[in-house]
Amino acid sequence: MSAIVALHQVSKDYMLGKTRVQAVRNASLQIQKGEFVSIVGPSGSGKTTLLNLIGCVDSPSSGSVIVHGQDTRHLRDDALADIRLRHIGFIFQSFNLIPVVTLFRNVEFPLLLQGDLTRKERHLRVMRLLERTGLAAHALHRPNELSGGQRQRAAIARALVTAPSLVLADEPTANLDAENGVMIVDLMRQMNEREGVTFIFSTHDERVMWRATYVIRIEDGKLREREESGVRRPPMRL
Amino acid sequence: MLEVALGNLRASGAKTLIVGSILTAGALFVVLGGALIDGIDAGMRQSIQGSLAGHIQVYNSHSRDKVSLYGELSGGGELVPLDDFAPIKRLLLELGNVKAVVPLARGDAVIDTPNALDRVLSRLRASVRRSLAGERSATLAAELVGQKAHTRRIVTEMAGSQGVARTLVDELRVQQNDWQALRTASSDAFWTHFDADPLAALELLENRVASQSVDGTHTFLRYAATDFAAFRRAFDGLRVVEGTMVPPGMQGVLLPRLLMDTSLRLRAARRLDQIKVALASGRRIAKDKELQRLVRENVAQTRELYEQLDGPSEQLVVTRLQAALAAETSNVAQLLALLLDTRDETFAAHDAIFARDVAPLLELSRIRVGDTVTLKGFGQAVFVRTVPVKVYGTYEFAGLEQSNLAGQMWLVDLVTFRQLRGFPTVEAAREAAALERSAGARDIGRGDAEAALFGGGAALEAHGASQALDEAKLLGREGTDDAAAPRSSGRPHTQDEIEHGAVLSVAVVLDDEARLEETRLAIEALAKERGLPLAAITWQQAAGLVGEFVGFARFVLWLAVVIIFAIALILINNATVMAALKRMSEIGTLRALGARRRYVFDLLLIESMMLGLCCGVLGALLGLASVLALRFAGGVPAASTELHFFFAGPRLMPVPSVRGLLVGLAVVLVVSLLSGLYPALLGSRVTPLTAMQDRES
Repeated sequence: MSAIVALHQVSKDYMLGKTRVQAVRNASLQIQKGEFVSIVGPSGSGKTTLLNLIGCVDSPSSGSVIVHGQDTRHLRDDALADIRLRHIGFIFQSFNLIPVVTLFRNVEFPLLLQGDLTRKERHLRVMRLLERTGLAAHALHRPNELSGGQRQRAAIARALVTAPSLVLADEPTANLDAENGVMIVDLMRQMNEREGVTFIFSTHDERVMWRATYVIRIEDGKLREREESGVRRPPMRL
Repeated sequence: MLEVALGNLRASGAKTLIVGSILTAGALFVVLGGALIDGIDAGMRQSIQGSLAGHIQVYNSHSRDKVSLYGELSGGGELVPLDDFAPIKRLLLELGNVKAVVPLARGDAVIDTPNALDRVLSRLRASVRRSLAGERSATLAAELVGQKAHTRRIVTEMAGSQGVARTLVDELRVQQNDWQALRTASSDAFWTHFDADPLAALELLENRVASQSVDGTHTFLRYAATDFAAFRRAFDGLRVVEGTMVPPGMQGVLLPRLLMDTSLRLRAARRLDQIKVALASGRRIAKDKELQRLVRENVAQTRELYEQLDGPSEQLVVTRLQAALAAETSNVAQLLALLLDTRDETFAAHDAIFARDVAPLLELSRIRVGDTVTLKGFGQAVFVRTVPVKVYGTYEFAGLEQSNLAGQMWLVDLVTFRQLRGFPTVEAAREAAALERSAGARDIGRGDAEAALFGGGAALEAHGASQALDEAKLLGREGTDDAAAPRSSGRPHTQDEIEHGAVLSVAVVLDDEARLEETRLAIEALAKERGLPLAAITWQQAAGLVGEFVGFARFVLWLAVVIIFAIALILINNATVMAALKRMSEIGTLRALGARRRYVFDLLLIESMMLGLCCGVLGALLGLASVLALRFAGGVPAASTELHFFFAGPRLMPVPSVRGLLVGLAVVLVVSLLSGLYPALLGSRVTPLTAMQDRES
């Protein structure tokens, strides 16, 4: 299988006042297409920074990040935005739905940014995803009318609406109770198996992390071992 | 994007409300303010164009100054005369778009308004003449007695006043001869011997005593000379209030009605009018120092009233006022003082008593319709010229009845103007020719000079009989009655004489005002082609500072708009920046999902513009509603009579227009755009990292 994400000796430094902080140090890894990977580590270990680098939200201080075959080091802001729009889906810890529009519009939003589909095509795709995430009945509701679990499911639908090759989720269950958290990860797993989309999610929740196919541990910005969880399914395509 | 923008506007309720209110109010202000200014523009246009200016003023291009309808002390500034109006009129009427052409000339003059003694002496002289002519009637005898008594009383009062003045202030330049004449005229001996030589006595009184009365005044006036028929046709707002229009072909004058009711009015009556108007507007004598001063002056200056009363009239006034005021005194001065000593609670009653019991016996105005006044002006060679003219009536312009700007100009005929300024008239040229003929003036050759000068052999001496001069025949007054009063020239003049003569400017009224500039340029071009020294300016230029008022008002409005919206811009900008900062996580999310910076910038700017559009439309419509409501209510009342000229009446009618609405909307959109730029720029710089950093639920 081809690597959809490849990091080679990637480091990321930040200045906190006068102090230089190395959030990620010499990280190298490859994620294959269709994998369902969790990145695990304590708070401040660099999980989010690693996801930001993979998601083209941030640029490495050194090393190279190859996403969908493109080295993102020297890409300009608009080019990075295009990669995110077309190849990467995001699921946020706080759901980050647009509060002033309906669920339907939230999920549709990335398609509107892309501008490739007709109105009818967009409608079909959005409704299909809402159905798959069990939210079809809430299409016209606003986010503040839904529960946390429903909102996160909507976020999953939004992340998948553009048929990305990669979905990144930064602690997607942190603001959910245990039951909902498991449900969300299982839903993500279903999407992974059904759509063949590569998922990478960060967590520090033991109950959730082992639902991934692989677990990558990170500590003090350094990647540790990559562990198989033993839960592996063959990828399925759309 | 529109849906997101609209949703965000709804979501940020407080900010939307505050910013929206500011924008709505701003649009309303611009629309309403613009409509009011347009109303003033329309009013001024009507006032200036409709009273004196027309659309274009034409004058001599060699003049140092332009035409100034209201500003110059000498009326037309330093205008060089246009020698002959007729070819100018022909030229102007050849052009298209010219509806009417009115010759004009403005100038200053002086008249001596008669005092009470002058009037009484005029009547006394008339009665003396009738007596000397042989009339013997009881009525005439009674009139003579009354008029002599009236005259004596006035003279005695004058002597008393001057005597006091002389004892108080020796340095007063009281001519000794004049004082002596006054003493003589107030003595018993003078009146005892009056009938022995009444003409001599009248001569003393008229020439040496009457001029000492402080009541007589020189009245400075500004006049506009014109062809009355053309003037009336062109300016149809002209209304003759009292009397008649000056008849065609006659020399005469129309007085402004406002001037008659104020400056020319008896001072006591004028003060009563001022107090009445002030009380009606809510002021009170007890609390108003100005009104108290007017009352004091009325009480102290009753002489101008009782001086007008002869014996029988005075007795009548005394009887009436004793009854009306329940007063015991029979002194007319005291009674009048009692009448005019008004309080807030007594004013209405005393004013009514004055109108009923006293005013009918007085000359309330120094000049009456029908009087002949002698205008004095400086001619071209700085000689003083005098022209007697009849006052045919009073006039006003519709809507401008209370306006001082439109109510100060005397209207006189052009022939009178030319006489005052010493311009040669057709009549004068004919008279000169007739004089030459009657004098036998002829061109003679050198060889015939001796014979022509010395009679060519005829006797050098002739004998003639002496004879008395027939004054009346010589002066053309034979067989007439009013020999005592000054007379106007009286000879009718023709339209030809009006048109062939000097003017200072010409008012041009157009059919289509929209073509004003085009027509103005055409006038100048055609004049140049014909070799006529003509310059043409617009009514606004001719009105000088007055005409610039609208431009000034617009400047003030726009200055206020700029200041208000500059402040609004800062407020809106602050509110919008704060709102944008609150949405950083949302913006970061959009960026993380793949929105480019430009998308975020456009989104935030569109939000701002949408608000501006909605509020601009709302504000403009509210502004329009305000304008219509004001019009329905009759307009905005003028705070003072000075504003009547600018409003073309007592109320200002705002003028709604599509242009005004669009301007109001445009201003708000510009402000929205400017106030949205910085927040949009800020928002576009939010990185997608912000979304990842938001870990709050």
